[in-house]
Amino acid sequence: MSRKIKVLMAKLGLDIHWRGAVAVSRMLRDAGMEVVYLGNQFPEEIINAAIQEDADVVGLSTLGGNHAVLGPKVVRLLREKGMGDVLVLMGGVIPRDDMPALKKAGIAEVFGPETQIQEIVDFIHANLKKASAAS
Amino acid sequence: MTDEYYTESGIPVKLLYAPEDIAGYDYEKEIGFPGKPPFVRGVYPNMYRGRLFTVRQLAGFGAPEDCNERIKFLLRHGATGVNIVFDLPTVRGYDSDSPEAEGNVGACGVAIDSLEDMERLFQDVPIDQVSASVVTHLPSTTVVLMAMYMVMAENRGISFDKLSGTNQNDFIMETTVGSGPEILPPQASFRLQCDAIEFATKNLPRWNPVSYNGYNLREAGTNAVQEVAVAIANAIATAEELIRRGLPVDSFARRMSFFWDLCNDFFEEIAKCRASRKVFHEVMKERFHAQDERSCHMRFHVQTAGITLTAVEPFNNVARSAIQGLAAIFGGAQSLHIDSYDEAYSAPTEQAALISLRTQQILQVETNVVNTVDPLAGSYFVEYLTMEMARRIRDYVAEIEKRGGLVACVESGWLHREISNYAYQQQKAIESGERKIVGVNYLKADHAHSGEIEVFRYPDTEERQKAKLRALRERRDGKRLAEAMISLRTGCKTNENIMPHVMEAVRANATLGEIEKVFREEFGLWQFPLA
Repeated sequence: MSRKIKVLMAKLGLDIHWRGAVAVSRMLRDAGMEVVYLGNQFPEEIINAAIQEDADVVGLSTLGGNHAVLGPKVVRLLREKGMGDVLVLMGGVIPRDDMPALKKAGIAEVFGPETQIQEIVDFIHANLKKASAAS
Repeated sequence: MTDEYYTESGIPVKLLYAPEDIAGYDYEKEIGFPGKPPFVRGVYPNMYRGRLFTVRQLAGFGAPEDCNERIKFLLRHGATGVNIVFDLPTVRGYDSDSPEAEGNVGACGVAIDSLEDMERLFQDVPIDQVSASVVTHLPSTTVVLMAMYMVMAENRGISFDKLSGTNQNDFIMETTVGSGPEILPPQASFRLQCDAIEFATKNLPRWNPVSYNGYNLREAGTNAVQEVAVAIANAIATAEELIRRGLPVDSFARRMSFFWDLCNDFFEEIAKCRASRKVFHEVMKERFHAQDERSCHMRFHVQTAGITLTAVEPFNNVARSAIQGLAAIFGGAQSLHIDSYDEAYSAPTEQAALISLRTQQILQVETNVVNTVDPLAGSYFVEYLTMEMARRIRDYVAEIEKRGGLVACVESGWLHREISNYAYQQQKAIESGERKIVGVNYLKADHAHSGEIEVFRYPDTEERQKAKLRALRERRDGKRLAEAMISLRTGCKTNENIMPHVMEAVRANATLGEIEKVFREEFGLWQFPLA
C-alpha cells in the first residue's frame, strides 16, 4: 500500500534562520508530501523523531556554520539505529568546498540558497531509498 | 503581459508622477526642512556635511583574539566604528564547552564566554574613543555582553560616560525572528530589553541600549512596511513600559536607535527611511508628548540586504550592495554596513570585507552624493511614495495594537505567521519567475555556477575556548561567584533591574552560559509557535 512520502524538517542545532526551512516545508507539502517541521533540534532528538515518525526523508537546514559537524552526526546516528535507508538532505548556506565531505559522510544532497523547490521534489522522488513510500 | 507595476511591498506605481500627486501636502508641515519636524528630510540640518555616516563594517568569527585582528584591520583601513557579531552559542546563551554549542563555536560570529574574552576581543581598541556596535541580538544576551563591556571599562579605568556605542537588544529577535531550542517567554525577554534600556538611561549617557531590529525581521520574511511598523510598535511598547517604571520620555527616547535592511527596490527603500522618521516623530510627539526634539529623532543604522545576495555569480553582489548603500545615503542613514560578495557562502574573507569598506569610501568621497542634504526631496514620486509608506506603516502599527500590542502579537504566534506567509509567497514568486533574480532565475548564464571564489574558513575555535574555560573555572573565586549567582537568581524573581546583578556576576567571572542558565531556570521556556 502506498502512502505519502514523510519528510522531517529540522533546524540544525542552534541555527536561528528559519525562513528557508519553513518555506521549503510548505512547498514540499504543496508537492503532496507529509512534512513534520521539528523546529530547532540537536541530532539525538532528530533521530528519535525519525524513528517515531518512521520518516522517509530528513531535511536539515542550517545557515549557522554547524553543517560540517552536526550533519554527518545525524547520518551516523541514523545508521547506528538501523535507519540508514532514510534519505538525509541538507539546505542552507554551505561553502562549496565542504560539500564533498558532507556527501562522503552520507548526506545525499546539499541544496544552496537559490535552489528551486522542484529540484528538491525531483531529487526526493528519484533517490528515495525506502520502498514503502509512494513516489 | 500585465502593465501593472508595484513596489516590493505592493504599492501601485504609475507611469508618471506630477505635481497633483503631492498637491495635498504642505511642505513645512508634512515634510519640513532637515533637522526640523517631522524630520522626513533627516534628523540634522546639515546631515553628512556635519558628520558623515559611520563606516561600520560587521566583524565576528573565531575566538576573541582572532576577531580582534579583524577589528584592528578594519580600523587601520579607515573604518570609523566597530561592529561585532557573535557566534550562535554566545547569542543563544551557551558556553563554548556546552553540548549545545558543538559545531557552532566561532562560526558566523565571535565566541565570547567570559569577561576575559571580552577583554581579549577589544584588546588595544580604544573603547573611550571608538564607538562600538555590539550586536547582541537578544535581550538575554545583551544584558550579559553589555555588562561585560562595562566591567571591561571599569577595569581599564574608563568612566561610563565615555562609552559610546549600541546594543541590538530586541525581544523580537529572541522570540520571533530567530528560532532556537530553548527560548525565553516573550514577556521575560521584553523585561530584559527594558532593563537594559532603563539601566543605560541612568548610567550610560552616550550609549544606545537598543537598536530596534527591522533588519532581521525583513530578512526572515516581511516587506518594508512591516519591517518599520514592527520596530516602531516595539518602541511604543518600550516607551509605555519605561514610563510605567517612572522614567520621563525625554530621558530615554533619544537613545533609541533603529536598524534597517535596504533591499533592491531603490525608491521604496529611500521612501521607507524618510517615512520611518516621520512616523516616529508623530508617535513620540503626539502620543508620548516628548518635549525634547531629540526624543523625536529616529536615528538608524543600515545594512545592505543579505537576502538579496546570490551564491551564483557572486561578484554580482558587489553591484547589488553598492546600489543598496547608495539608497541608504539618500535615506539619511547614520551608519552603514555594506555586505560582502561572498556572504551567500560564509562570513567574508579579508579581501571581500575590504571591498565593502572601499565601496563605502567610494560613495563618501568620489560620488559627491553626500554634499547636499536629502537630494531626492521634491521628486513627485519619492514624496508621494514617502507619504504612502508612512500611511501604510501607521496602519500596520494600528493592526498590531488592535491585536493587543507587540508582546501579545508574539505570544499568539500572529507575527510568526505573518513572516512565514510572506516568505512562502516570495519563494513561490521566485519559483514562478514573477520575481526575477539575475543569474538565478533570469538570464541564467551558461556556466551559472558559483565562480571560483575563495571562501572564508573559520579558524578552529572550540578547543581553544574550552581550554580557556577550564582554566577560568579553576582559577576564579568560588565564594564570590556563588554569592553573585544567588543575587542574580533573586533579581530574576523580583521586578528590580537585572543589570547590577549581572554586572556583579560578570565581575565574579561567571560565564555567559552560567548566567543564561539562571535566566532559563527562573523565567522558564516558551514554545516557539512554528515548531
